[in-house]
Amino acid sequence: MRGRVNAGLIAGAVLVGIVVLAALVSFVWTPHDPTLVDAANKLREPGGGYLLGADKFGRDTFSQLMVGARTTLYVGIVAVGIAALIGTPLGMIAGMTPRGWLSELIMRVNDLVFAFPALLLAVMLGAVYGAGTLTAMIAIGVATVPAFARVARAATMQVMVTDYILAARAAGRRRAAIAVRHVLPNIGSMLIVQASVSFAIAILAEAALSFLGFGTRPPIPSWGRMLQESQELLFSTPRLALWPGLAIALAVLGFNLLGDGLRDYLDPKLRRIRAER
Amino acid sequence: MRRIGTWIAVGGLLLATAACGGGGGSNGGSNGGQAAKSASLAVGFVAEPANLDFTSTEGAAIPQALLVNVYEGLVKLDQDGKIQPLLAEKWDVSADRKTYTFTLRKGVTFTNGAPFTADDVIFSLDRVKKDWQLKIKAQLDVVDKVEKEDESTVIVTLKHPSNGFLYSMATRLGAMFSRTGVADLANKPVGTGPYQLGSWKRGDSILLNANPKYWGAKPKLSAVTLKYFKDATAMNNALLTSGIDVISAVQAPESLQQFADPNRFQTVEGTTNGEVVLSLNNGRPPFNDKKVRQAVRYAIDHKALLDTAWAGRGQLIGSMVPPTDPWYEDRTGDYPFNAAKAKELLGGKTYNVKMRIPNLPYAVASAQVVKSQLAQVGITADIEPLEFPARWLDVVFKQGDYDMSIINHVEPRDMGIFADKSYYFRYDNPEYGKLLAAADAGTEQEQIDDLKKAAKLLSDDAAADWLFLFPNLIVAKKGVTGLPKNGIAEAFDFTALAKQ
Repeated sequence: MRGRVNAGLIAGAVLVGIVVLAALVSFVWTPHDPTLVDAANKLREPGGGYLLGADKFGRDTFSQLMVGARTTLYVGIVAVGIAALIGTPLGMIAGMTPRGWLSELIMRVNDLVFAFPALLLAVMLGAVYGAGTLTAMIAIGVATVPAFARVARAATMQVMVTDYILAARAAGRRRAAIAVRHVLPNIGSMLIVQASVSFAIAILAEAALSFLGFGTRPPIPSWGRMLQESQELLFSTPRLALWPGLAIALAVLGFNLLGDGLRDYLDPKLRRIRAER
Repeated sequence: MRRIGTWIAVGGLLLATAACGGGGGSNGGSNGGQAAKSASLAVGFVAEPANLDFTSTEGAAIPQALLVNVYEGLVKLDQDGKIQPLLAEKWDVSADRKTYTFTLRKGVTFTNGAPFTADDVIFSLDRVKKDWQLKIKAQLDVVDKVEKEDESTVIVTLKHPSNGFLYSMATRLGAMFSRTGVADLANKPVGTGPYQLGSWKRGDSILLNANPKYWGAKPKLSAVTLKYFKDATAMNNALLTSGIDVISAVQAPESLQQFADPNRFQTVEGTTNGEVVLSLNNGRPPFNDKKVRQAVRYAIDHKALLDTAWAGRGQLIGSMVPPTDPWYEDRTGDYPFNAAKAKELLGGKTYNVKMRIPNLPYAVASAQVVKSQLAQVGITADIEPLEFPARWLDVVFKQGDYDMSIINHVEPRDMGIFADKSYYFRYDNPEYGKLLAAADAGTEQEQIDDLKKAAKLLSDDAAADWLFLFPNLIVAKKGVTGLPKNGIAEAFDFTALAKQ
């Protein structure tokens, strides 16, 4: 029996669910082709099949938002995936040998990467290898590695002093087996929380990079680039900036609420407190 | 004519640091360190130069800032594209049109103190041949020899009569350098112009101060700041908040209504020499096939493109000639928008092409329209914005590693770039080169006739597609005068600029 479901968790799940749903549906259906330029529909007002109107290229804003959700999730999943796959093992190794030289090395390199701004890394990679979704994702992912490593290390150190680990060691289990069998399952909940928070950060970073022209390539819809393209029309057609801005804000809010909610839901200490009540 | 141009129109923003109000006319006094004028302006541009040496570095940003303002030639272009005297008081052309005798202005000095003499003319023209590294230097290959008759008379002998020679002399190729002033051109330009380099804050701005020892009418401003913006909105905001006085070339035409208030702003709209070209790599598949190139031209609805990508500002052209040149003909009817015809030319085949564009506003906007329209006929263009100028120049312009690109070729009279088969278009049609050579050597009328034919040939061959002619769109604060209506020279001329 786990903790009680709280309001934040529900709200977060709903917001994230909407984004996921929009992204999935966009694979099979959008109201209009999101990249089709149509001069006749330039800056079309909302209505008549164009739920949120059209941009200066005559592209349907709603369709773009739907496909943009895809880009957002794609970037988030890959970036967080990179970070988790690299950061978690590193953190676990450091946590299981807290006084070893390897642990020191890992954590100091971590600090080094942590000190380097993700956006700057992305801009640099973009300049060298060409801007694109992939370089943006890698940069965001690499910059998020330290966050995972730290969380994994702290959690691992807590787990390592428990009785069942002691028992496993006494029984002669090898370290790798202990890590996979006992440590990973017990730090999983914290990693999930970290993942949802990192996801929100990745969404923001992608939007920022696309806004700067270092992210998703045109004309693939991206919320960040929609914002950028609406800049010059901010005074005449503010709705073009409103919708993608709102989408970014709600998606980030959703993932943050989800992260908070999951933490409360999964944290064993909080669970105990609740049970005592 | 071969120029590279590629830069983008420049936006000028001038920031008035407003020293004081007086400003008035040119009261000729050159009182030592400071010019007598009081006002200063900041002009905003995009695409900051990588260095200040236009003899070794391609791109239009450098001559735009420095030509006429810092460097002067023997002649210059006026607002109508006519050639006017500058450092040469006058010139005589021999009957066979092969010998030009320039009479130089006396009492002209460079900003390093050296006097300007016939030897400097010889030095400068020799340097084009020996030291310049630009492709366009081939324009002066026609010069056979340069001799001095006396300190202020220079005789230039051509290999054959050339209509383009004097025109080239009005471009950066004709800029006059001091024999003792070329040690560090990348950082310290030395010219005879009304302005001299004050300081250069890399990544931000270039300050030009009035040259107190200028030989001609003193500029009405004591200083001009060229401020560089990567971002159209940042440039707009700078003008709105009085951070600058002039946007030299509007980069976000949809935003013009922000400046609609006539009590605060004025808008100048004219034409440029900037052909926004959809470059096709004629040297490799699929665009080595004329039919595929023609299909591209039929597939693009140019009117729709201009309306969406650039708010309908600009003009449709159809070949490499701007309307301000005497041999302009409306070639927009050669390939009227016809998707069915395009599909027919492609014969049911589909193509995947690399569209490598500079990360400049007009290119990114146009590329999305082009992609969408080409998709209708079965050509999938993968848009890849490259950082401009460095990356784009390297990958597309130098290495020619692209299928399709979009760039504004801003240089005046640049039809010749298509005659050079090593140019990044990789267009190779000897017939075209012959027409250009005949035009250059012929009489004025023959020149016009031949260049009309050349422009038609280019269009028929679909050597590229011409998306639109870039508009000269300037927004300035009310009270700024002397703004050029048409941007048809390489330089953004600050000499007439003033502030009331």
